[in-house]
Amino acid sequence: MTYYQQQVLSLKKAVYPNDDLAVRVIQAKRYIDDHYGSVIDLDAMAREACLSKFHFIRSFRKHYGRTPHTYLKEVRLAEAKRLLQKGIPIRHVCFAVGFESVPSFTRLYKATTGKPPRKTSKKAIPDKKVPVAIPTFIKKIP
Amino acid sequence: MKIKLTSLFVKDQDKALEFYTAILGFIKKTEIPMGEHKWLTVVSKEEQDGVELVLEPMAFPPAGVYQKALFEAGIPATAFHVDNVEEEYQRLLKQGVVFSMKPTSMGAVKLAVFDDTCGNNIQMVQV
Repeated sequence: MTYYQQQVLSLKKAVYPNDDLAVRVIQAKRYIDDHYGSVIDLDAMAREACLSKFHFIRSFRKHYGRTPHTYLKEVRLAEAKRLLQKGIPIRHVCFAVGFESVPSFTRLYKATTGKPPRKTSKKAIPDKKVPVAIPTFIKKIP
Repeated sequence: MKIKLTSLFVKDQDKALEFYTAILGFIKKTEIPMGEHKWLTVVSKEEQDGVELVLEPMAFPPAGVYQKALFEAGIPATAFHVDNVEEEYQRLLKQGVVFSMKPTSMGAVKLAVFDDTCGNNIQMVQV
């Protein structure tokens, strides 16, 4: 066994002795990864881990170095960036990744990435020019 | 200021390029001849505009002493993220890669450490 491996095992014993707790926290993280586009609150995340809210926040932070709320924001913003780079309009992206307000999404995006969402992709289609499918019956009206 | 590069000292740049592309699956991004050595970088296939890994020639003897000490202690020179450590471990084993640490859970992460054949231990991490 290498020196490094000994250190890893020793740290694991000291810092993460409870494998069951790790499994619960991982389960909650997966829940966030799968449901970031919906409105998910702390109650739902803690329920997924079968832990009380306070115990869940403490445990999540201990395992991932950030609170579940911060992690959720990171996942949402990463996905938002990916969608914006594909040219999807800001408003659509905002709601697709689980934010409920465009101004607060724009503010958070800029604070995190250093630039507003509209600058993420030069090819982004401005909201006003989004092609809207016109129902056939309207097209027939002279 | 942005982080665009990270580097690893390698004993042989050609051998390193072969290992990092053919075995690990990275893609060569830049190769510029520079006398005896070259400026050589690879990137992840999944993030080709991401951070470049510089495969730097071991041309400074004290760095070799440091690299050897790290290697003998089993300490990773750097770490790469993977989706599934166990699957990558099995894939690399079949390619003849030697591991000094098999997949090991530590809290919410899983780790494994292998020899890059160029003087370094590399850690795979699944978060």
